[in-house]
Amino acid sequence: MTSVTINGRTVEVEPGTTILDAARAIGEWIPTLCFDERQDPFGACRVCMVGVEGAPAPLPACTTQVRDGMVVDTRDATARRVAGAVVELVLSELPEPPASHTELAAVARQLGVSGTRWPGTVHERDHDDRHPYLALRHELCISCGRCVRACDEVQGTFALTATGRGFDANVAAGLDQGFKDSACVSCGACADTCPTGAIAELSLLDLAPEPLHEVTT
Amino acid sequence: MSDARFDTTVTTTCGYCGVGCRLEAHARGGRIAAISPALDGPANLGHTCVKGRFAHQFTRSRDRLTAPLIKENGEFRVATWEEAIDRVARELLRIKAEHGPNAIAGLASSRATNEDCFVMSRLMRAAIGTNNIDNCSRVCHSPTSYALRKAFGLSGATGSFADIDRADAAILIGANPTAAHPVAGARIKQAALRGMQLVVIDPRRIELADYGVLHLAPRPGTNAAVMLGLAHVVQRDGLIDRAFIETRTEGFEAASALIEDYTPADVERISGVPAADIERAAHIYAEAGEACLIWGLGVTEHKYGSEVVQLICNLALMTGKVGRPGSALLPLRGQNNVQGSSDMGALPDTYSDYRPVSDEATARAFEEAWGVPLSREKGHTIPQMFDAAVAGDLKAMYIFGEDPAQTDPNTSHVIEALESLEFLVCQDIFETETTKHADVILPAAAFLEKQGTFTNAERRVQLVMPAIDPPGGAKTDFEILTTVSKALGHDMGYETPEDVLAEIAKLTPSFAGITYERLGRTGLQWPVAEDGTDSPILYRERFELPGGKARFATLPYRPPGSEPSEEFPLILVTGRRLEHYNAGTMTRRTANLELLPSEVLEIHPDDAERLWISDGDLVSVRSPYGRIEVEARVTDRIEPGNVFTAFHFPEVRTNLLIGPSADVNTSCPEYKVMAVDVRPVAEAPARRPALAAGD
Repeated sequence: MTSVTINGRTVEVEPGTTILDAARAIGEWIPTLCFDERQDPFGACRVCMVGVEGAPAPLPACTTQVRDGMVVDTRDATARRVAGAVVELVLSELPEPPASHTELAAVARQLGVSGTRWPGTVHERDHDDRHPYLALRHELCISCGRCVRACDEVQGTFALTATGRGFDANVAAGLDQGFKDSACVSCGACADTCPTGAIAELSLLDLAPEPLHEVTT
Repeated sequence: MSDARFDTTVTTTCGYCGVGCRLEAHARGGRIAAISPALDGPANLGHTCVKGRFAHQFTRSRDRLTAPLIKENGEFRVATWEEAIDRVARELLRIKAEHGPNAIAGLASSRATNEDCFVMSRLMRAAIGTNNIDNCSRVCHSPTSYALRKAFGLSGATGSFADIDRADAAILIGANPTAAHPVAGARIKQAALRGMQLVVIDPRRIELADYGVLHLAPRPGTNAAVMLGLAHVVQRDGLIDRAFIETRTEGFEAASALIEDYTPADVERISGVPAADIERAAHIYAEAGEACLIWGLGVTEHKYGSEVVQLICNLALMTGKVGRPGSALLPLRGQNNVQGSSDMGALPDTYSDYRPVSDEATARAFEEAWGVPLSREKGHTIPQMFDAAVAGDLKAMYIFGEDPAQTDPNTSHVIEALESLEFLVCQDIFETETTKHADVILPAAAFLEKQGTFTNAERRVQLVMPAIDPPGGAKTDFEILTTVSKALGHDMGYETPEDVLAEIAKLTPSFAGITYERLGRTGLQWPVAEDGTDSPILYRERFELPGGKARFATLPYRPPGSEPSEEFPLILVTGRRLEHYNAGTMTRRTANLELLPSEVLEIHPDDAERLWISDGDLVSVRSPYGRIEVEARVTDRIEPGNVFTAFHFPEVRTNLLIGPSADVNTSCPEYKVMAVDVRPVAEAPARRPALAAGD
């Protein structure tokens, strides 16, 4: 077993356990955005940064395995600042704030990010409602990769593709022909994992309540 | 998780297939707003499929039955519950008085809860006084139940879905899980992607065959030869586990001598599977550290289906691959509660836990609990019920949650039987092909509207909780059945389904330790000891047969009940589609219909060209029993000589084509092999490419 101290509490975990899993096991909260327990850790969003004693900079909790004697501070000021800035940058790309039930809105609330200081280009609205159950709202995609990995690692259908680069990075069903005409088997695992509502259940769109907070631009 | 979009969220168990996904059902304004998978569901691990997640709008379909209906002068009219129950009780009591209790039969449903099935069997046994009670597992996995009990002792998977994650190899036989059990299919696919050596045995090139290392496509009806061929190679090449055979089994010598005769070359001649593939498959299975055997209705729905399951068990016994993590025999049960409906004794020959109705001690225990004398005589199976109805010996039926007029074979015979009855009660959520023939229809509740337990394909008993109310005047099956029983003069004394579970636990050894509290969020796998310990893996130490030893079966290959002829040159195999479920009563009333609006007949390009059939043509399919019309789909996923279709659509009544041939031990119909003649329908639009190809 490996011994790790998180926020002053020492716990014994299996070797190979990530900081995130060790922290969750003792009820310590670490914000995440690209993480889903059903998928392998991805380490792309940089929202789960934590302070580790002796490390020159914050480390991502979802992909860093604990080492014996490691001392972790999930509330490390630098780490929190990085996470907050990442979420703010993500929000700056969206034409409207995420609906309050989404994971992105929850993470923003928990990190105390109420808007973005960086005005600029936002994604253009691009809706695809051709499938009877699954709605695509391309402008809400933050390229976390969770839908693509859900399709690959949970369902095994490989119907979703990450497309574009940089600011234009997005997701496509098949070769962008939409869910219905792609290899999609309509399992909904993508909508289930999406943290922003970029892929959502069509019937739930009418139920989405007003955004929880205002964006200051 | 609280979510402002929903009024309530209830954790329940899916009512579609036998995987048993745990679901979070979110309701708003008295309707289901959405369903998401429970992250801690042991069978689904946070995943679900197009049926479980999306196909819930049927619960508020305009077609739902919301009031009892009574047929008068050939027309149904709305009735009050009092009137309907009174009519049912009066007619059943009259027929019982005039013709005796055995003139009445009941069908429980593998869609219903354990509690409903238990109550239904009590209704027939105690309130009516007959063992004429059966359920739809008769027509799917009764051969599995029979064979597992003969070989190992208990009627259930030997392990769990989790064993797939630990297996080094697996043989999948006669099942198409990515369509029929999508979450189990995804799990098998993920295992194959991680490197599990998957061998698929199926006449069609199913999706999982693309992810496996080997695909064997035997002629329909020759599974037994393939299993014997695999056993032959295992034995010939010294891959048997002699210590296991000696200490834990009986009957190997006779089986071993028979296996000698099935050389790969012989098996190739019978099944069409290349001898080299038989050799390779046998080595993959036997040389793997841990390996699973997974099968579906492609094994059971045959004339010798129950024998093929025994031969599958032989293979596991020869190699000692049973009773340990990663080496499981997993029958993929079709409906959500196929396992449970039979466990509960909704069968003509057994009480709960498969104890024979003739067993004096068991019958006495039930007599004491129910306070009435019970018959020791076996009742009728479903096909026997229909035969007895046509013969005039069976006068009344109570059919609950089942649509035999669409799903059972030899449809015209079933309809004749239903029409021959003096009195038919149907209890369902929609009008069906079967309810057309009813005298009284009682409106029931769907799985999202009721409470109880379902038992999945890995023997896991899981809680079912209501997320919404039944619509209009519809009532839960529990309420209807107990009310009818009271009207028949037998007050069951239960107030809630939980009371029923308590009685099941008291009267059923393998349910001894089951309570709602212990089932919790993740359920328990029977047998559950009194202290609540459950059994993810069976037979670790001993088999549940006298002496604790498993039994080898000595069974030869025998040809199927239907073979191609000059008049009927093609073999029809029937099966299922991803988007729809069984009779389609539920899924056809959801947007799943938009995803798959109609049925097709899959046919190989060679056959299509020879018969001047193009993709999309309307074709006629004729068997000795009936004829249907369906659109052709030309695909090389099927072997030449075979055609395939499903039975989800009443406008394509596939089961009209299927005859009376059935499994020799369990009467499970031979849905998987029927010789047919296929030809274009004359009035169909002009056929473009085939005309050119035929020139």
